[in-house]
Amino acid sequence: MTALTAVIARDLKLALRQGGGAGIALGFFLTVLVLIPLGIGPDVALLARIAPGTLWIALLQAVLLSADRIFEPDHDDGSLEIMTLGPVPLELIVLAKAAAHWLVTALPMAIAAPFLGLLLNLSPTLFLPLGLAMLLASLALSLLASLVAAVTVGLQRGGLLLSILTLPLYVPALIFGVAASAGGDALSGSRPAALLILLALVLLALVIAPFAGAAALRAHLR
Amino acid sequence: MDLAAPHLGFVFAAYGLSLLVLLGLVLWLRHRSRTLSRALQQLEAHGAPRRRAVAEAP
Amino acid sequence: MQQFANPRRFLRLVDLVEPWAWAVTVILFAIGLYLSLVVAPQDYQQGETVRIMFVHVPAAWIALLAYLDMAIASAVAIIFRHPLADLAAKAAAPIGACFTFLALATGSLWGKPMWGTWWVWDARLTSMFVLFLLYLGYIAIWHAIDDPGRAARIAAIVALVGCINLPIIKFSVDWWNTLHQPASVLRIGGPTLHPAILTPLLVMGAAYLALFVTLHLTAIRAEIMARRLRQMELARADEV
Repeated sequence: MTALTAVIARDLKLALRQGGGAGIALGFFLTVLVLIPLGIGPDVALLARIAPGTLWIALLQAVLLSADRIFEPDHDDGSLEIMTLGPVPLELIVLAKAAAHWLVTALPMAIAAPFLGLLLNLSPTLFLPLGLAMLLASLALSLLASLVAAVTVGLQRGGLLLSILTLPLYVPALIFGVAASAGGDALSGSRPAALLILLALVLLALVIAPFAGAAALRAHLR
Repeated sequence: MDLAAPHLGFVFAAYGLSLLVLLGLVLWLRHRSRTLSRALQQLEAHGAPRRRAVAEAP
Repeated sequence: MQQFANPRRFLRLVDLVEPWAWAVTVILFAIGLYLSLVVAPQDYQQGETVRIMFVHVPAAWIALLAYLDMAIASAVAIIFRHPLADLAAKAAAPIGACFTFLALATGSLWGKPMWGTWWVWDARLTSMFVLFLLYLGYIAIWHAIDDPGRAARIAAIVALVGCINLPIIKFSVDWWNTLHQPASVLRIGGPTLHPAILTPLLVMGAAYLALFVTLHLTAIRAEIMARRLRQMELARADEV
């Protein structure tokens, strides 16, 4: 357990000092929220309707943008190779990296999203469902981002590959995330079910990401 | 088949596109096979060894 | 399967089987096309455009089958380290991608006369589109990594994760579709299939399957030759 927390602490320290991907992610998030009304028009009713979906999309994209910072810096300066030779199993390292990414990038955005949603005239009744769903889904998003980051570490045009490979993985999270934060009486009935499915997705990602990510890292560093 | 039916163009387009893409796939694969086989024959004719002296890492 | 681990024996098998595979494919297509274009009756709702189903649905079936083929081959490559397994997976990808593209394009051509738009976010088409992305990602991985051994391992991981994801995507897209769909169900499948429609569909399905198997064998052979070529070139470089 201490090894896990050690890796997380290291990543957190680095992120706080260097700024890491969290700044990029938040900046992107804000940019989207400002540009959407400018692009679509200030129709308040329309904005309110698209607010949940837009916030989710912004969250996904922002997490994606910061994903290549999960393993690249360590790969570039060789510390990743050292980690593979160390006593900590690679699976735990991938998990720790995902946790660090979540704490620094996905979690803050998930918390801020409902409030920033006011810019899009998000209905206050949706604050709690949206926040809850995003909190839950952000776990899956960070885990899956770490998985794909491990697969594409050190590759040319890795950023593009990252996007293509991550998109299919994010589709279910997006669909059920939006469903869990939906408004309107007809749709709100399915919210609990969507939340449970979201939880299942998180658990699945929790199992798959460390093992597949570690396997990918091993293949890269052999 | 009723040749005067509306939207018949879509049917022809669908079948035509399928034929085009599948034929293209077949031709591309055959071309690739032939190119590779020719290159292999050339290398073998010049007496190139089939394996590296030192075994490649798996 | 172990006896085909030897590439040379496998190649000999392919050479033997190939002409027959082509013959079967051509015959099935001949029968299938005749049934689809001549024998099958008009649909009372869709008219002649129902015939597009006979090229759309088989393409979709093969698109899915090819990915399963890729995933199984990848699993075999990782678990049993069968020397031809990762080549089989690599070979299947561009073929599967073509069939997926056809499924999307013919689906679009089927949808336009029916619904008036070139694209609808119908559950099946949306799932197909994501499948297309899965194929593209897999192919891109092979091109992005120089060392074939490393590329094979990473690609296998990508294929397997994608395979786990596939039913989840299907499930989530279906859910999303029913959530946003009004009572009238816009199913590209149309009304229930009666025998006059089912027979051409099955024959075309068999034809597409035969074509896929034939193409896959050809592609595996090409991959084996490519690998051998690379080994020989490396050996020659060693000598210099």
